[in-house]
Amino acid sequence: MSVSKGNDTSHINATEDCLHRSLAKNIKIIKQTLGNSDDIIIRQLVIDEAQNQSIAILYIDGLSDKTAISDAIIDKLLLNTNDFTIEHIKASCLTIGDVKDITQFMTLYQTLLNGDAVILIDNCVTGIATNTKHAKDRAVMEPSTESVIRGPREAFTETLRTNTALIRRKIKSPNLWIKSRIIGEVTQTDVSVMYINGIASDKIVAEVLARLDRINTDSILESGYIESYIQDAQLSLFPTIYNTERPDVIAGELLDGKIAILVDGTPFVLVVPALFTSFLQSAEDYYQNWMVSTLIRALRFFGISLALVAPSLYVAITTFHQEMLPTPMLISIASQREGVPFPAIVEALIMEVAFEVLREAGLRMPRTIGPAVSIVGTLVIGQAAVEAGVVSAVMVIIVALTAICSFLFPAYGLSNTVRVLRFPLMIIASMFGLFGVMFGVMIILLHLCSIRTFGVPYLSPFAPFILKDQKDAFILFPRKALLTRPRLINQKNMVRGHRYIAIKRRNQRDG
Amino acid sequence: MHKLQLIGCLLIVSLLLSGCWSKRELNELAIVTALGIDKVDDGFEISIQIVEPSEISAKQPSAGRSPVITYHERGKTVFEAIRKITTLAARKPYFSHLQIVVIGEELAKSNMVDVLDFISRDHEFRNDFNIIVSHEVNAKEVLSILTPIEKIPASKMLNSLQASEKVWGSVLTVNIDDLINTLSNNEESAVISAITMDGSKSLGMSQTNVQQAETSTLLKYIGLAIFKNGQQIGLLNAEDSRGISYLDNKIESTVEIISCPKEGTLTTEITHAQTKIKGRFEGNMPQLKVQITIEQNVGEVECMLNLGEKKTIEMINKRTEELIHKRIEHTLQILQQDYQVDVLSFGEVLHRKDPEKWKKIKKDWLAIFSEMPIHIEVNVKTQALGTMENFPVRNEKNMGE
Repeated sequence: MSVSKGNDTSHINATEDCLHRSLAKNIKIIKQTLGNSDDIIIRQLVIDEAQNQSIAILYIDGLSDKTAISDAIIDKLLLNTNDFTIEHIKASCLTIGDVKDITQFMTLYQTLLNGDAVILIDNCVTGIATNTKHAKDRAVMEPSTESVIRGPREAFTETLRTNTALIRRKIKSPNLWIKSRIIGEVTQTDVSVMYINGIASDKIVAEVLARLDRINTDSILESGYIESYIQDAQLSLFPTIYNTERPDVIAGELLDGKIAILVDGTPFVLVVPALFTSFLQSAEDYYQNWMVSTLIRALRFFGISLALVAPSLYVAITTFHQEMLPTPMLISIASQREGVPFPAIVEALIMEVAFEVLREAGLRMPRTIGPAVSIVGTLVIGQAAVEAGVVSAVMVIIVALTAICSFLFPAYGLSNTVRVLRFPLMIIASMFGLFGVMFGVMIILLHLCSIRTFGVPYLSPFAPFILKDQKDAFILFPRKALLTRPRLINQKNMVRGHRYIAIKRRNQRDG
Repeated sequence: MHKLQLIGCLLIVSLLLSGCWSKRELNELAIVTALGIDKVDDGFEISIQIVEPSEISAKQPSAGRSPVITYHERGKTVFEAIRKITTLAARKPYFSHLQIVVIGEELAKSNMVDVLDFISRDHEFRNDFNIIVSHEVNAKEVLSILTPIEKIPASKMLNSLQASEKVWGSVLTVNIDDLINTLSNNEESAVISAITMDGSKSLGMSQTNVQQAETSTLLKYIGLAIFKNGQQIGLLNAEDSRGISYLDNKIESTVEIISCPKEGTLTTEITHAQTKIKGRFEGNMPQLKVQITIEQNVGEVECMLNLGEKKTIEMINKRTEELIHKRIEHTLQILQQDYQVDVLSFGEVLHRKDPEKWKKIKKDWLAIFSEMPIHIEVNVKTQALGTMENFPVRNEKNMGE
């Protein structure tokens, strides 16, 4: 655990110390260290006037459950009149589920800032931490980025515990293990690594934990921070870590032997190792008819190719390889290009940039002015530009096609990659024609082949080709045929089920 | 690091040293759809038909301008003339979308082989365009005619050629590769479809030609031109051209008219025709046999026949066989005696049958060919009667009599 080895804790060096005997002194130190922040509530009680035994209850307003503190701590303490040893209070006084001893200031601050209430007793060097966490959090709602028609409607929230519970509810196995870390010197963010012991590869689990331990930073505010710290190909545009806000997807990935990383404060949970195919698979694929899913997957592969190369193919073919077009189509395109002042590449760049601007604007602007942007986008950029003869109508079609295709991805990460790669491909197409496009695509493919994510080839099961794993890659086999887990993710627990056991059981019963 | 730099350099060099430098924007192209070549005193006259895209596109045409523009230029060679055309054309001609090449009659009759060299050598020409010859007009005039419906006259010529090959059979589509193959295999003999102009030249060249319901000047295929030694030596009429198509196994569908026993005619639709040419040597004398298997439907009956009877169908089969037999015989006679040319590669059949003996007769083949008897065997089957058996109107009349 990376608790107190940072550079930002120098001003609270005193906190390395153990708690003092005197309650007053302890409270003074705590107040001083926390800068007298007024959300720190310190409630001092005298529980036995005869012996003048005083007790202090510390908690942070807004992070702790006030009802629990008053009912289960203050109430019970005031009723207790004879024994003030820490053991007695813990054993027969507090009606709180989870209590811990605290002896050091550092632990005290941690528990306090996590929302736990801390009980300090005069003349005692040990405090009690009680689990009274009750921060305001968002309810479990429908996922906003990955919607499905058929499938669970719940999504992760910003609270780590809720998220782990959502996964536990799906996989009720004692082998679903959680390893936790606190990362970020200042933010002290809880990070949990979840995996199914026995299915996930021990090596990869160890590697994930090792990489998490290597992170040395002051803050983790979103799982994206973790992602960029632990991903393999730092210089690649392709995401090697999958993220999702759907518990059912995480459950499915865990059962494949993958490892989930949950970060407190974000509903986006990371999955490692992420293969290229993961980004083209949607949770819904598994919930509907496998033939439909296979067709839709094919459509996605087609869509990604089109989103990547459609504008560059247009540029290459219309400026270098006009002989490839059927004559009527050539004449039609040529007639639309009559009077267009720019070369095809400039036209393509103008339209693609205009589209990216519109897309980004639509994403960031306040919702109420949304219609204004779409009117400007469709009317001004689209129609008026064509009518004014600045761009050709075909180019608008191509850009629209590209745009629609880039929304086909179930995972947003890959869509961004394709968005960026489109531009160099277009430029190379304008200089070298189809040769350039092929060159670019080859480089992208070679790059994809070279990436490994946590030791697993990114393009598997295509490169290296694994025949058995083709059942759930480009095509999807019926559920009954999905009997083994992906081979490269782990090697020890491969079998998901047996085809004939059900038949055997039935026969036994009948016979 | 040094290695990486080297690989980087190689990659950049491979990009720069190869690739396509012929960058041209679409609106810098003059799309040539038809090329006409005529012979003039001091060389060739080239005519190219260039599309004006904005007049052809689906959008409303701007202002009654002609959908195509024809440019003419003379030169000592075809290549020279084509390059010289840039002096009068608005843009550099782009030949990849060439649909049809028209060889002028005069050129066809002198020697056409030389111009084919350029057309098949130049990289910008694809090899899927068709070659036709003009008849009684020169190529320049053929390319100047405006056609209705198909705004590009070249498309009209191509479509009409393909359609009539498919359902009528009096023309053959011949692309440059086919032509060069036949010319080189058959001692420079071949058949090429011939086109002519029906109507006045000057009317055909003006936009008014396409503004009336009845087009005053038309382009029309009239049959097949026969080439020997790279020269056109004759033109077959539609009937004999169809004979050639039968012999060449190119008939997909056509129509035959036979006479009924008493009076009137019956038209049949040939739906399938398969021709096999078999050769063998009897001693050193070559023998040829043409076997044609035909399937047909009854298409139009203009006489009194009871089609329900088997006898009638047999009669129809027999008469069709006779008719086609007669036509093939006539066509062969023209080829053998009038022109003494083996355009259909009969020699090739014999060559494949017995290469040794073929070598002996190869030298005198054309002489032997013109004399030799060719056995014709036609086999016709009537498959269907159309959508009815006997025409009810006529039958009722018959019943009354």
